[in-house]
Amino acid sequence: MATSSQAISITALRKSFGGATALDGLDLSVATGEVHGFLGPNGSGKTTTIRVLLGLLRPDSGQARMLGGDPWRDAVALHRRLAYVPGDVTLWPSLTGGEVIDLLGRMRGGLDRRRRDELLERFDLDPRKKARTYSKGNRQKVALIAGLASDAELLLLDEPTSGLDPLMESVFQQCIREVKQQGRTVLLSSHILAEIEALCDRVSIIRLGRTVESGTLTELRHLTRTSIAVETAQPLTGLDALPGVHDVVVEDHHARFDVDSAQLDTVVRRLAPLGVRSLTSTPPTLEELFLRHYGDDHVADAQVPA
Amino acid sequence: MTGAPGLLRFLLRRERFGLPWWLLGATLLVLVQSTQSQNLYGTPDELAKLRQTIGSNTAVIAMSGPTRLLDSIGGEVVFEIFAFVAVVVALMSMFLVGRHTRAEEETGRAELIRSARVGRHAPLAAALALAGLADVAAGTLIAVVAAGTGLPVGGSLLFGAAITAVGVLFAALTAVAVQIFENSRAVYGAVALLLGAAFVLRAAGDVGSGALSWASPIGWGQRTFPYTGDRWWPLLFPLVASALLVAVAAALLRRRDFGAGLVPARPGPAAAGRSLRNAYALAWRLQRGSLLGWAVGLVLLGVAYGSIGETIEQYVADNPEVAEFLPGGAADIVDAYLALTVGTAALIVAAYGVSSALRIRTEETSGRAEPVLATATSRLTWLAGNLSVTLAGSALVLLAFGLGEGAAYGLTIADAGQVPRLAGVALAHLPAVWLLVAVVVLALGWAPRPSAALGWVAVGYCSVVTLFADSFDLPGWVQRASPFAHTPQVPLADLALTPLIVILVLAAGALVTGYAGLRRRDIGY
Repeated sequence: MATSSQAISITALRKSFGGATALDGLDLSVATGEVHGFLGPNGSGKTTTIRVLLGLLRPDSGQARMLGGDPWRDAVALHRRLAYVPGDVTLWPSLTGGEVIDLLGRMRGGLDRRRRDELLERFDLDPRKKARTYSKGNRQKVALIAGLASDAELLLLDEPTSGLDPLMESVFQQCIREVKQQGRTVLLSSHILAEIEALCDRVSIIRLGRTVESGTLTELRHLTRTSIAVETAQPLTGLDALPGVHDVVVEDHHARFDVDSAQLDTVVRRLAPLGVRSLTSTPPTLEELFLRHYGDDHVADAQVPA
Repeated sequence: MTGAPGLLRFLLRRERFGLPWWLLGATLLVLVQSTQSQNLYGTPDELAKLRQTIGSNTAVIAMSGPTRLLDSIGGEVVFEIFAFVAVVVALMSMFLVGRHTRAEEETGRAELIRSARVGRHAPLAAALALAGLADVAAGTLIAVVAAGTGLPVGGSLLFGAAITAVGVLFAALTAVAVQIFENSRAVYGAVALLLGAAFVLRAAGDVGSGALSWASPIGWGQRTFPYTGDRWWPLLFPLVASALLVAVAAALLRRRDFGAGLVPARPGPAAAGRSLRNAYALAWRLQRGSLLGWAVGLVLLGVAYGSIGETIEQYVADNPEVAEFLPGGAADIVDAYLALTVGTAALIVAAYGVSSALRIRTEETSGRAEPVLATATSRLTWLAGNLSVTLAGSALVLLAFGLGEGAAYGLTIADAGQVPRLAGVALAHLPAVWLLVAVVVLALGWAPRPSAALGWVAVGYCSVVTLFADSFDLPGWVQRASPFAHTPQVPLADLALTPLIVILVLAAGALVTGYAGLRRRDIGY
């Protein structure tokens, strides 16, 4: 299994359960060494994709390659090289958190004792408590520590922070940055947009089992609009007529509007002669990207539980 | 107490499928015992002979009750079955109270309930009311069944009331235990221990002077002497004790935080032991507790059956009708009895094997299999880890029964050779038990969703064939699919190896086919 530049490459992946389609021609490519955001609403197929990558589900059609191998056929060999953190962590109630971390680490092929203890400290987890007494957040920490304490070259994280508080969220982000510095690859499924923005080099947005956008955040932003709030010395007129300008609200010397990122330059040139007193430009947030893809119709779509 | 009536209706709804089975179980025990006893010892003459045989057998007294009950046929029914019915109803009460108080706090569901307009005491009050209603229902059904099968009405009412009283007492004990312990397993452990102590105390008391029986709730119930003395006053003990215990529980509840107990949960090890490193060790760790429980239970059952072995010879000579129930008739009577008891125990072991194999499915549906299969653990290793405990565990539990029965029977006839002999006899049923386990694995591979139903139907079918084939004259083809019908009835019959080898080959085939299905299907669906 030679290491290629692609840690994960999926093309036209399809999977249905009974009559319900979970993946409908999904494409995903994750380069070695990047942190890749995997974004989509609940039921869009994120978990199903990760389970296919883990060899737990057999795809109906399409190609999936991971770390140069076939996720279904080479499951055991590949699993030595990856760590997985599920989104909904269920643990054996009678085992302690420390026991679960050690057990999962050993089953993968060993874990770094020193890093394990350090992570326990950073995530502030008591490893002596029985799993049945842990809250959702603490169960998630157990799975995270088990995954992060490994030397795996690929981390598959399925909404790993949905139960963590903001403090732990920032510890998590720090850990992922360290993982990235070590040159390891991360596939981070999430619907916490701030987390994706903070961590990811590239993002794939999926909807109804298909990839609808994929690229760097800059690339994605280019496809969308920047919000501008401006105050000028002279009255603002004729903004509506400019190409690519939308939703203009003008009050004398103040104006607020959105502009297609491609037309930003033209608009700024038009504003400059009016004597700009203040200008705030807000780049599109991931949230706006996200809502642009789902805002209109995501409510009506029948979804498959992933 | 605000909200308690509404909660009680909710609990009744939640228990509408489970509770009837408990009640049915308790009622059936009485129904079967009452019919059988009246068939076997219907005349005063037969009853007198029974008193003679059993009156001197301490093992039987220890398992049953005080011999004064043997003065009438109704009393004989109470003698044989009271302690067991009391245990069933006590366990029912324990689970009803524990499940709807401490277990609800553990899952956090009780928090939702308590955030509504529901008083601090309401969940406990509703759970106790539920258990009380269930105990009264059990007592009523028992009284009706006892009277309905022809026993005197007055004694039947007392019989039912005594069972209700024991059930209520254990409900109240559980109510205190849920205030003390933080998790429901500790609660059930503590109450079950007390229940075991109650049984042992009355056993020791009934064998000895009787004084110790007065320290046992089961003893209080038996010493009302239904049908032989009909005295109601001993029921004052459980009733007063229950009232005190409920008051203590309520007082403790007022003093503790939600979710907390008086005894905080003990912390466990911060790191896994050296051996906890693969699927085999994990399965052992998860199942060793229940395996120990089954093994202890079957040792005790073996001791109970074995201790009667010697008596059975004379007993059958006195009661020729009994011989009809035994394979092989009156000749070789003890061997026939041993074969019958081992055959019955093998069915119980099959239930263990199926429940243990079905844990594989629980691991999968709960999501706990997923992180394991995401490590370098193959599906084969994962399956083998669980199955190794199931297969070896079935052997161990069967062996436990054989050793228990051999030791007890060997002691009564002073022959140590019975221990290895009966251990071997028990193990002759192992291939049949393994075949049922293999059927579950086959279902796990190819029809995972109905695997639990299929497994239990298989156990139920084999039980019906073994226990009722002869009495109901079931046609031969009905019996043919049960591996237990093909297992040689040792020690009565010779040990024929061919059927055992065929059963083993079938089991191996089902295991391999089941794995082939598991290997190619989706996990978690």
